[in-house]
Amino acid sequence: MDIFSDLMMGLSVAITPINMVYLLVGAMVGMIVGVIPGFGPSAGLAILLPITFGMDPIGAIMMLAAIYYGAMYGGTITSILLNTPGESATVASTFDGFPLAKKGRAGPALVMQAVASFVGGTVGVILITVLAPLFAQVSRSFGPPEYFLLAMMGMLTLIVMIGSNWKLGLLSALIGFALGTVGVDLETGQGRYTFGSAELIGGIYFIPIAIGLFGLGELFYAFYQGLHKTGTGSIVQYDKEERFWPTAQDWISTRMTMARHSVLGFVVGVIPGAGATIASLMAYSTERSISKNPEKFGKGEMAGLVAPETANNAASSGAMIPLLTLGIPGSASTAVLLAAFLLWGLRPGPLFMEQNPELAWGLIASMYLGNMALLTISIFAIPLFVKLIKVPYRILGPTVLVICTLGTFSVNASFVETYLMFGAGIAGFFMRLYGFSPAALVLALVLGPLAEEALRQTLTISRGSFGIFIDRPASLSIIGVTIALVVLLPLLNRFGKSAGDAEKAGT
Amino acid sequence: MTISMKLDGAWLRAAAFATVLSVPALLAGSAVAEDYPSPDETLDWTIAFGPGGGNDIMARTIIDILNKYDLYPGDISAENRAGGSGAVGWGYLFGQAGNAYGISTTSGSFVTTPLQADTPWQPEDFTPVALLATDDLVLVVNGSSEIQNIEEFIAMAKESPVNIGGTGTVNVDFIVPTLFAQRAGFEFDYVSFNSMADQTTALLSDALDAMVGNPGEILGLIDSGELRPLVFSGQSTPAALEGVPTMGDLGYDIGVSMPRGLILTPGAPKEAQEWWIATMQQVVETPEWDEYIEKNTLTPTVLYGEEFREFLASTKSGFSEVLRSVGAID
Amino acid sequence: MRIGFLLVVLAGAVCYTYVAFVDLAFLTRTGRLGPGFFPRIVGVAMIAFTIWALVEAIGKQRDVNADTSGWRDAFILMGLAVGYAVLLRLFGGFPATVVYLALALSILNRGKHAQNAVMVVAIPSAVYLLFDRMLNANMPPALFELPFL
Repeated sequence: MDIFSDLMMGLSVAITPINMVYLLVGAMVGMIVGVIPGFGPSAGLAILLPITFGMDPIGAIMMLAAIYYGAMYGGTITSILLNTPGESATVASTFDGFPLAKKGRAGPALVMQAVASFVGGTVGVILITVLAPLFAQVSRSFGPPEYFLLAMMGMLTLIVMIGSNWKLGLLSALIGFALGTVGVDLETGQGRYTFGSAELIGGIYFIPIAIGLFGLGELFYAFYQGLHKTGTGSIVQYDKEERFWPTAQDWISTRMTMARHSVLGFVVGVIPGAGATIASLMAYSTERSISKNPEKFGKGEMAGLVAPETANNAASSGAMIPLLTLGIPGSASTAVLLAAFLLWGLRPGPLFMEQNPELAWGLIASMYLGNMALLTISIFAIPLFVKLIKVPYRILGPTVLVICTLGTFSVNASFVETYLMFGAGIAGFFMRLYGFSPAALVLALVLGPLAEEALRQTLTISRGSFGIFIDRPASLSIIGVTIALVVLLPLLNRFGKSAGDAEKAGT
Repeated sequence: MTISMKLDGAWLRAAAFATVLSVPALLAGSAVAEDYPSPDETLDWTIAFGPGGGNDIMARTIIDILNKYDLYPGDISAENRAGGSGAVGWGYLFGQAGNAYGISTTSGSFVTTPLQADTPWQPEDFTPVALLATDDLVLVVNGSSEIQNIEEFIAMAKESPVNIGGTGTVNVDFIVPTLFAQRAGFEFDYVSFNSMADQTTALLSDALDAMVGNPGEILGLIDSGELRPLVFSGQSTPAALEGVPTMGDLGYDIGVSMPRGLILTPGAPKEAQEWWIATMQQVVETPEWDEYIEKNTLTPTVLYGEEFREFLASTKSGFSEVLRSVGAID
Repeated sequence: MRIGFLLVVLAGAVCYTYVAFVDLAFLTRTGRLGPGFFPRIVGVAMIAFTIWALVEAIGKQRDVNADTSGWRDAFILMGLAVGYAVLLRLFGGFPATVVYLALALSILNRGKHAQNAVMVVAIPSAVYLLFDRMLNANMPPALFELPFL
């Protein structure tokens, strides 16, 4: 088989002692960077890119890919332990990850997320190996109409997040939409709410708001509850009775979840620009709508953590498809990889894999190895992280604040963003206290601009007609899938089962 | 990179007190300038964007060349002072007024950011060293399109308005097709995207009729025939786009492009400016520089000193004219 | 407090909507959705929902038993956070972190001087090593340099 020999060639390129060192170093550094709030894969890659200047391209690309993957693995750790997503793709992981940790299941949650990441990542690489040309067709069928519909699908999650108090939930989402309109209007170039500040030209970056609302908000709330006064008090509990390893129940109940969402995540990841965030949100809401016990979601359901984690890692593999087959970066992280390719004088595009088989297949092979290395590193590192939460909260709390602050600052060296984070932190505390939904706000902030831009692009292209949504096969099929997801799946699932579940989700 | 250097990097303070600081700094500047550059002074090179971007690559290429050929006697410290679409980095440089050892590379945002925000500086404020290259755009259609060349494209666009995608509105991506359409006499709807990746996907999905973009990022797609280049906005077509006419060839010269150049602090000593002009004349002769230009498909357009300042001023006024006419800026 | 928070949200929503109606056009000159299209809709909806929530909160006011015991500590930490933000701007990443941690720990971890002293030195140093040395990331620069650091 052709693919097989290509992959073997890739492995032979990748497995040299020095490349293995690069891979391991990259994976570890990536993981450390990912753990810092504020540093997702893209910020991590951008900061670490200069390290690879002067290395040979194959070693360098392996190291960068390992950093990328490592940051994806590491990012979830803070989502689970501190309720602080490092980047938008791990927001969905806080929904059930943090409640799991609060219930004293931090250990199993961390192990399961590592396994889910591994499964998602590996299935993703297998799909790249086997079906790259096929999926290249998927990634080239998406234009603004399809992106608008995808953003709408992502917003289905918003309905789940709005939770019991729908008025305040909706108000939270509206605030998120409002923040999302800040910045220079893409279509007309007019400044909206920028008040002449250069820092706001590009809009309000999602990271400081998410770190503030989730991380700092949670911190203030814990102090409000007086957690720092108890001896070993901590937001998350580490129950000595509870074992570190997941139970058989955890494995069995999430088997199918992993299988489903590695494929779903990959397919969404293949679409340039949609990527891991929408994949993880769609995975979460799909999983919830087909679950036998949706009422447990948001309260520490393992499937609710495994679904987005599998999907976002599968999506990060999927994002390699447009990069390798078309030379189009599907995400902020792959944009940094593209910059690296250009830096080495490569010419990414449809002929890239043909012209640079060693590099392309070496990269693919290194993704298999990277996932394995990261699973191993995670298993060893998790006990350390679990120990960390045993630090008394009166010490851990102020320290977390330092790391959140400096993490936020260093991504863009921006004081405005740092202040935004503090503001969001204080607002997040009151939002928690009074039953608002910080998660809905953050999702609206991520999805709102995406939807607005795509809709306005679509209407410019169609000269104001909505017919474009059904004229294009790709957008018509998304509409079909959405209807299936929203109407048919829950109907099938709840058929014969007593209805009337209380809609309680969110943090 | 030591902490004391980092602590020095308080551009806001510097910007706020620029007028106060500039007088003593000027005196200090002229004192050292007698034997400029002194090997004891560290050159403070500001990169106004993050690592890996176009501005960063250009700065590091020049620094590598300076080091390789021993053109600069002292140490060079390059710092990425990113933020606010360049406002932070160039604001920092602006605050060093008169300092002979503050230097930075420019890119498109050097012109567009002051148009969008109340920056304390304008592009003409800085001491110009040289324009080294320009970023120009190529107009492409989908490879499966019936349009084979620019004449067919213009003919089609005259019949029924087309849409053309580009990145951002306060950007050369919008200005170039707007001016070109005016000259060639057709109408189009501009569709603004957030990134080159978004617009390329939209074009490949047949949502767009055409788009403009930097050739460097889409050469792979052009080579494979997925995209068909029609016309190039620079003065001369780069080797990789051989056979593609320039807008000037068609008689529709628009004369707008993004300046990639080198600037010193405002009011830097004359000796420093002259030294850097002489040095850059050597830099652009090196094979490394040729390689950089070719790899990034830039148009080598070289202007020194005051000519560069005039270029910046005319680019800025050209931009603001077009943008004002469509209501993008006040 | 709930009413106070909602009033702040309302004030923000009103300002937002005002700008949307005054500065931003509903449609572009070519008749497409303009920059003000969504802000106006979002702004009006925000005001409506906030007023609704306010009315409810005022109605329920008597039911809320005022449990203020936790406020003090939450506010202390918020105050420390704001102070930290100011210090960062003035004196840069490393000194601000030292001062902030010293204050925070002396209030929250009272009495354990030795432990606190170790933390005050160890945490900023570790963070500095990680960010500045290892990752070569940006640390907040100082506006005024402290002579003793």
